[in-house]
Amino acid sequence: MKQFMTIMRKEFLEYWRNFSWIWVPVVFIFLSIMDPLTTYYMPIILDSVGGLPEGAVFEIPELPAPEVLMMSLSEISMFGVLIIILLTMGTIAGERKSGIAELVLVKPVKYPIYITAKWLAKIKLFLTAFIIGMLVSWYYVNLLFDTIPFTDWLLTVIFYSFWLVFVVSLTIFYSTLLKNPGLVAAVSVGTLIGMSIINSIFSHHLTWFPNSLSSHILELHKSGSIPSELWGTAFVTIVLSIGLLFLSFFTFQKKELA
Amino acid sequence: MFHVQNLTKKFDRTAVVKDISFSLEKGNCVALLGANGAGKTTTLRMLSGLLKPNGGSITFEGAEPGADIRSYIGYLPQYPVFHSWMTGKEFLVYVGQLAHLTKQEATERAEYYLERVGIANVGNQKVGKYSGGMKQRLGIAQAMIHKPKMIMLDEPVSSLDPIGRREVLTLMEELKEDTTVLFSTHILTDAEEISDALLVMHHGEILEQGSLASLRDKYQSAKIELAFKTFEEEQLEALKALPGIGEVTANRDGIICLVDDTEQARQAILTKVTQENWALTDFSVSKTTLEDMFMEVVNK
Repeated sequence: MKQFMTIMRKEFLEYWRNFSWIWVPVVFIFLSIMDPLTTYYMPIILDSVGGLPEGAVFEIPELPAPEVLMMSLSEISMFGVLIIILLTMGTIAGERKSGIAELVLVKPVKYPIYITAKWLAKIKLFLTAFIIGMLVSWYYVNLLFDTIPFTDWLLTVIFYSFWLVFVVSLTIFYSTLLKNPGLVAAVSVGTLIGMSIINSIFSHHLTWFPNSLSSHILELHKSGSIPSELWGTAFVTIVLSIGLLFLSFFTFQKKELA
Repeated sequence: MFHVQNLTKKFDRTAVVKDISFSLEKGNCVALLGANGAGKTTTLRMLSGLLKPNGGSITFEGAEPGADIRSYIGYLPQYPVFHSWMTGKEFLVYVGQLAHLTKQEATERAEYYLERVGIANVGNQKVGKYSGGMKQRLGIAQAMIHKPKMIMLDEPVSSLDPIGRREVLTLMEELKEDTTVLFSTHILTDAEEISDALLVMHHGEILEQGSLASLRDKYQSAKIELAFKTFEEEQLEALKALPGIGEVTANRDGIICLVDDTEQARQAILTKVTQENWALTDFSVSKTTLEDMFMEVVNK
């Protein structure tokens, strides 16, 4: 436990020194508010850049507030996830490649502790950024569109967090398996794309597939209660994340460390 | 105190370390000597737990059964890499805590060892700004921080300039007081200078081992080096025939005669030189060095 805290504190210190604690939340805020703002101001933007030809009538449909909040999620699921992967790819692989791992792992450090501490540190960083981003997005959606109840917002954030935890776990797993951080990122992105393809083909059979989290979250906003599919999907996502974490311990233990 | 038995390591079926066995005495400084590619680094990495051996055993006397062997050792890789955003002191406290020290203990020892290795003045600077010599010293400090029973240093002085080399060698000599030191090197004079015992490694095997004194006894012999203004093949033959002289070899600098009886050989050689009126330019009596021993062992 003491070792765990030592490693995590060191990770947090690193996030301070390289300003991750500042710029990662800033990027997430930017991603979250981009779509709500541009959607709301679209008519004004169109007007100011020359607008539509004389006489054209262009009805911009009124979007319900939950859909606008989901736009924030979809930005995060693209660029946010990419940033998470890029910042996580070197967690283990980078330390091994550079040789720092040699100095750390000749100390009596338990490998599962080493991995879990780094895993949790990353998750804390990204979830903090995600929550701040979604708070700002919620504020603007309430201001510009319609009110979203706090509980709905909170459930959205909580359930979507599982997906981000899954992304971190997946990337960390590849980071223990492969030695090249760039390759880790490529394989992680590849896996996520593969999963989304599988999801779109078999979505009727795989209602609990992690990728369908956001569509279930949208259901939640429409119906006002948590659909059972959301519970199921969240459960599957958590199990997969924990499974990947244990798989990481296993691969790391078997690996030659130097 | 520390025993290695039949240690073997294969990479893709090629054995890099072949069935080596040796023991280390407490408080000794032992040099693992060998050319590049002899398997020194692989051996040290196995001993430090970074690589898993394909066979053999490593045991510590006095270690609790099932204990993590890494608690008892400190290791300095050939090219130590640190988090460049950390200060030297932060890094020492960090690895100290990883080795189960409390924060306070780790801080105290970090300060002590920064002083001890002579980089206390830059302890609060980022490691990214350190010179090669400073990193090497920080590396030694991090290996010592948890007071291990043994420290292993992989080529600790090879990458340093002559001044840094001298300083680190002096430091290692001092560390012998606290712990057992095992270091690898391909530089024979370094090994000769500070080690008590040698392990000579070649192509993954330990060809010779023993204390410096015993190896000297076994291999060291007197030799006479000669140089002439002009060198002719027949001089070699003539020298070989003289009493008290063993092997005679010629190199660019002259002729080297290994001798059994220095007194007898010297007289014989000088007489011969006078008789033949060879133009002698250099004559010296000395003993074979570790390098000669190394060449002899390796070429056997």
